[in-house]
Amino acid sequence: MIEVKHLSKSFGDLQAVDDISFSVKKGQLFAFLGVNGAGKSTTISMLTSELMPTSGSVWIDGVNVQDESELIKRKIGVVFQETVLDQELTVYENLECRAALYGITGKDFQLRLQQLVEMFDMHDFIKRPFKHLSGGQRRRVDLIRALIHRPQILILDEPTTGLDPGTRKMIWAIIEQLRQEEELTVFLTTHYMEEANDASFVVIIDHGHIVAKGTPHELKNQYALDTLYLYQVSEEDVQRLHMSYRCINHGYAIALKDVKEATKLIITYPQLFTDYEIIKGDMDSVFLNVTGKKGNGYEDNTDPDA
Amino acid sequence: MKTTLILMHRHQKLFFKDKGMFLSSLITPVILIVLYMTFLDRIYHNSFVSYMPKNFSLSSSIINATVASQLISSLLAVTCVTVTFSVNMTMVQDYALGIRKDFDIAPVKKSVLYLSYLFATILNSLIVNMVALILGLFYIATRGWYLQAVDIVWLIGDVVLLVVFGAVLSGIICFPLRTQGARNAVGTIVSAGYGFFCGAYMPLHYFGTHLQNVMSFFPSTYATSLLKNHFLNRPFHQMQEAGVPKAVIKEIAISLDCKPKLLGHVVSVEMMILLLLMATIILLVLYLFLSQYRSKKLS
Repeated sequence: MIEVKHLSKSFGDLQAVDDISFSVKKGQLFAFLGVNGAGKSTTISMLTSELMPTSGSVWIDGVNVQDESELIKRKIGVVFQETVLDQELTVYENLECRAALYGITGKDFQLRLQQLVEMFDMHDFIKRPFKHLSGGQRRRVDLIRALIHRPQILILDEPTTGLDPGTRKMIWAIIEQLRQEEELTVFLTTHYMEEANDASFVVIIDHGHIVAKGTPHELKNQYALDTLYLYQVSEEDVQRLHMSYRCINHGYAIALKDVKEATKLIITYPQLFTDYEIIKGDMDSVFLNVTGKKGNGYEDNTDPDA
Repeated sequence: MKTTLILMHRHQKLFFKDKGMFLSSLITPVILIVLYMTFLDRIYHNSFVSYMPKNFSLSSSIINATVASQLISSLLAVTCVTVTFSVNMTMVQDYALGIRKDFDIAPVKKSVLYLSYLFATILNSLIVNMVALILGLFYIATRGWYLQAVDIVWLIGDVVLLVVFGAVLSGIICFPLRTQGARNAVGTIVSAGYGFFCGAYMPLHYFGTHLQNVMSFFPSTYATSLLKNHFLNRPFHQMQEAGVPKAVIKEIAISLDCKPKLLGHVVSVEMMILLLLMATIILLVLYLFLSQYRSKKLS
């Protein structure tokens, strides 16, 4: 569905995106992760043909985005980080105006609006000024706006930031429904790693470069540290393990490369393992390790000779 | 066309729902009317009397009507253009608030988008300036009424022409602006400077010859003169009927920029309309070219 080939973008001396390549399959939930300033938004702007790449190309459905920008724009819906709808206008007025940008007016607009309003349960808010809606209601309207022209690709730029868990859950349920029923391809950037955990494929970008890519399972196996939690032991006992550790409430947390390492410790020091648990590394851990933004609070107790 | 209309409607609604924006554009002509009445009425009155031959008595109603017409024509010459800059704020505001991102990801043609801004600016500015025209006519009626229905029709036509000219001009000047601060700065400069530039605050006749020659190449000179001609035509006619010598009336008309010269030739009212239309069309072509240029640059 989306094919990014050796894409680069520079602004003067600043290399915002540097030779990145990846592909997104139809119907996938694709997570594009990176810290602020990593190059995510610049990449999105090139996908939507708002920005011209310095080099490389973006292909959507076999069409070069730069050659057929109008055609491509009809295939893409975007939910921006910050809402870009008019605060003073009602939900209806906002959507009517945005639909007109795609040539959807009159009866076509009314029909599509009715479908989306039902899907997002927005009946009560449609005539209300946008500025009087709650954060969750606004996000729903942003999604309706992005879907008003029946796009094949939905780009979500940190769509659930600042939303309550209930609203996040509802929004993801609708996106999942759209993916399954309409084979909607979702291109997601997010700061919530549990959302990336459900992605079909993940790309992590840092300083304009791709630093990791794979399925969440592959990435966790490759980059995430598992954690061993040991209780009812003294600090001297933990130091005997020659591992990095940190104090937690009523015990110690020890960083492990994988579960095998935990098994080895259990066999070697069975007397210490009376009360313990092992937690698999998550996407947070992957992200922190890959981007080098660790700061995990572990005390280095490894034996350099070991 | 439907898209243009819906977008235009959106810009209009945003303008009228933003009370600050609407009132600030409306308050400009109101303030000017009050300032003119308070400070300039007496000065212009004395100035006209000084033109009259010695021992010649002219009805105060005619003098007052002439003064009032001169004041209101100058006022409208300013507001028809400066109000468009206030009204065109939506275009800049869409950038400043990040709303243009939402338009730029859509397949709508840039020319459609920019035409919608232009049409909305024209319509909103017309509303404000028609209110100013009505207030001005009321003021003139209180001072001395000699205008006829045909004059009112001409004046409405003049206001429409000047507003369209102002809207396209403001569209081009506001085109590169991206922040509220930049727009405010331009708005302030235009509001303060345009009145002098077009000869509304002080007739260009009082400027140096070289400067007058330079100003004769700017359409704003003829925009002001057009309104002055249509406002002052009847009072001048009344003066003639009251026995004021033609030479004196001509001298007054020249001193008020009613007979501007271009390359040594006096420009007629018809020629003024033609010059303004031509200037507006050229500016419109430039405006559309800029929107296309931006579209190509983006894609």
